[in-house]
Amino acid sequence: MNETPLWASESFWKKTAIWVTAGSFLILVVLTMDSLSKTSAGSKRVPAYSVINKKIDYQYDKELHKFMPVIGETELLFGKEYSEEEARQLVDLGKKTTQAKNCMNCHTLLGNGAYYAPDLTKAWLDKGWISKEMREDMMVKFLMDPENNARTYGSNRKMPNLKITEQEAKGVIAFLKWMSSIDTNGFPYNFKTINAEE
Amino acid sequence: MNTSGLNEAAQKAAALCEKSRACVNDFKAWVQLDSRNLSDGQQLAVKYFIVAVILFFAQILFGLLAATQFIFPGFLYEILDFSVNRMIHINAMIVWMLYGFIGCVYWFLEEESGTEIVGLKLGNIAFWVLTAAVTLVVLVYLLVQIGPGKDSSLWFINEGREYIEAPRWADIGIVVVMLIFFYNVVATFSKGKWSGIAGVLTLDLVALAGLYTAGMFYMTNITHEQYWWWWVIHLWVEATWEVLVGVIMAWSLMKLLGVRRKIVQTWLYIEVALMFGSGILGLGHHYFWIGTPEYWLTIGGFFSALEPIPLVAMVVHAVYDSGSHALKSGNHPALAWIIAQAFGNFFGAGVWGFMHTLPQINLYTHGTQWSASHGHLAFFGAYATINIAFFYLAIQHWRGDVWMGGGSQNAWRWKWALGLLNGGVLGMTIALLIAGYEQSFIERAVEGSTWGGYFTAQNHPSFQSAMIWRLFFGGMTFAGFILLVWDLLTIGKGETRKAPEIIES
Amino acid sequence: MIEPVALEDFFITFFSSALIILAGAGYALLFSWSKVNPSIRIKIAAYVSYAVLVLAVAVLTRAAHFQGYWLIISVLMAVGYFFAPIGIWHLCVKTHAGSNLKNNNNNNNNNRG
Ligand code: HEM
Ligand code: HEM
Ligand SMILES: [Fe+2]
Repeated sequence: MNETPLWASESFWKKTAIWVTAGSFLILVVLTMDSLSKTSAGSKRVPAYSVINKKIDYQYDKELHKFMPVIGETELLFGKEYSEEEARQLVDLGKKTTQAKNCMNCHTLLGNGAYYAPDLTKAWLDKGWISKEMREDMMVKFLMDPENNARTYGSNRKMPNLKITEQEAKGVIAFLKWMSSIDTNGFPYNFKTINAEE
Repeated sequence: MNTSGLNEAAQKAAALCEKSRACVNDFKAWVQLDSRNLSDGQQLAVKYFIVAVILFFAQILFGLLAATQFIFPGFLYEILDFSVNRMIHINAMIVWMLYGFIGCVYWFLEEESGTEIVGLKLGNIAFWVLTAAVTLVVLVYLLVQIGPGKDSSLWFINEGREYIEAPRWADIGIVVVMLIFFYNVVATFSKGKWSGIAGVLTLDLVALAGLYTAGMFYMTNITHEQYWWWWVIHLWVEATWEVLVGVIMAWSLMKLLGVRRKIVQTWLYIEVALMFGSGILGLGHHYFWIGTPEYWLTIGGFFSALEPIPLVAMVVHAVYDSGSHALKSGNHPALAWIIAQAFGNFFGAGVWGFMHTLPQINLYTHGTQWSASHGHLAFFGAYATINIAFFYLAIQHWRGDVWMGGGSQNAWRWKWALGLLNGGVLGMTIALLIAGYEQSFIERAVEGSTWGGYFTAQNHPSFQSAMIWRLFFGGMTFAGFILLVWDLLTIGKGETRKAPEIIES
Repeated sequence: MIEPVALEDFFITFFSSALIILAGAGYALLFSWSKVNPSIRIKIAAYVSYAVLVLAVAVLTRAAHFQGYWLIISVLMAVGYFFAPIGIWHLCVKTHAGSNLKNNNNNNNNNRG
């Protein structure tokens, strides 16, 4: 009768399973702490909420093979300069509104969500808002009454009226502007902002 | 209202009650299932299975509505919008699969521990509380749908986070019910006997429930929010759920094929090592583009390349075993669905997962129909199949261990259900693959990912016809489901031959 | 850092990735089958399958612009998928040690290992 060698025994694999799991989990915890601190609002990759007072643009970095965010001069939102705390509150209202209205089950945010409607990661910078002068006004109107301000690009897919109030709409726009400044390692690929010359 | 009106209403209600009771009795007489064949734990298990099947039905129904809206966007517009249908589609999926898993565990808990369930009454109460809560959540999804941008909406309507939309009150309820379930498992094993299977199961349930709590917090910072959200989603489906299926599979192999316990448990440990070893840090493949640091590109790429290894191990092992067990099974449908699981897991997770997982290509496919293609094949292949296999094992026992092997009556039903369901999901997967390929190519690579680019891709003829094919194959899936339910209710009825008893070799 | 796949390489990227997994599984299947049922033809088929895998890895390495660190993943896949089935086969044999004695409906035993 052939003996079971140690490396094929139940107890060996039991220990291996425990060590592999614990080891992987420990590494994940360490990486998580590092990632969370490197992506807190106000870090290099995820700007502070007051970035909504600034101009946001993207520039191609040849060495890194990706578009990098460029935070520019002052470009006020709704003609107002927000303090850090005011900006946080406005973005917070917007974020909460996107959850309460279930935006993510039609759109993607940072590429996660549903595929029935366009990605919102850099929606603030999209050429679809025609010009920077018209953008804020168009966005508020669209969010509050999408049906009559529809932007369907010939697809017949209309966003439903989600009973978004004006204040909520402004919050959502602030949230979108802030989100568009996050360094997403070049996602979405090859994105041309509203500032880009044709 | 006057008293006579009230009386009339009461009478009507009583008559309705009577009628529905008669219906239920007729149904019971028709299915001819004898609950005396089941132990207490198994009676609780089949309750979970029944709700699982009903929710599976809801999943398919709302999937069909959402798929129809891709073709006719005006369909149910501002009545049941795409977002509502899709939310119910994927929530029903998560919940029915969890119901199925809980059912499986209750099914074998008594046999594995060698004693009776400790908190049977508590388990029953938990079942009814959970089911009532699920019903309420779905009703609110359907009738209230959305709320103002306040905390109260997240607490009472929905949290607006894909897959875990359930409002916060329900989250807490779910955790409580899971704790009761967990108590039952641990206390029962402690009273009876522990085993390797019991140990892995217990630790896995701790992880599964613990991960759920990681998804229960509101955060303004969307990068952080998505970071934790993936902890729940990825570490569920690519780690804890896989291991839970491993446990269920290990037990079934022992019972179905009579494989020795020592071998089964050694291999369960090997699987845990391979799954957790590749799956936990494989989480990195979701951290490429959400704002997280660049080192996740290398980590995600590396561990994704390892993730198919457990599947290769299964291939080798299956070949090794095929010689020693001549597959003389007394339950052909269950065996067929277990084989479907092996293939489904391999293709859905292994092949489809690897095709879009490296960041060099995921940059284009991320957030397109590509993900939907992979999601459908992987969830169906890995988790729907194993649940269905277990439904067949349960129904066989419920009928009194009748023969369900070769030469059974009406075997065409389970064969057609198997073919239609698998063919339907595979067809949808291929249609979505074509749509995803076209979308990542035109929207991303060519048009530079603008809204204009998105709609150019959506309006493209190949995308449009892919959506029609998806609906067609969705219909096929639906037909397969109907047949499956019919078969589950009738299979083995009137069968007198007994299934052979399997003893550990 | 990464260099994304070029437009014209989309299809080849998906195709070679799928092929890596399929050929890897095919090699594992044929290799273990050749152990159960020793035959030179099955053995050759197993190595052909492995050759396809190596080819697919090479194609993917080019299409996905693997450089530096990423080449480790290519090497790892080529080497790892070669040895994994062998290791797992040995594990199967050893973990089942002893069970063959009691097993009756099975006449392949002597071919094992
Ligand atoms: C049974 C196992 C699996 C299931 C049930 C599953 C399911 C899913 C689902 C539903 C999504 C879409 C999530 C969303 O809504 O955004 C997804 C995404 C993803 N899966 Fe899996 N998966 C499994 C295994 C794997 C494996 C083994 C790999 C890699 C080898 C993988 C790679 C990915 C990647 C890279 C994404 C992100 C797609 C994107 O960028 O949008 N999956 N998975
Ligand atoms: C009649 C059959 C079905 C139809 C018509 C259908 C349709 C749909 C639709 C329209 C979506 C939304 C995709 C989008 O956002 O664009 C979806 C998502 C999804 N479905 Fe289904 N579905 C069906 C069956 C299934 C089955 C059987 C499963 C798994 C067991 C499943 C799992 C999923 C998953 C995981 C998602 C989310 C994918 C993601 O976010 O990437 N579906 N389905
Ligand atoms: Fe994943």
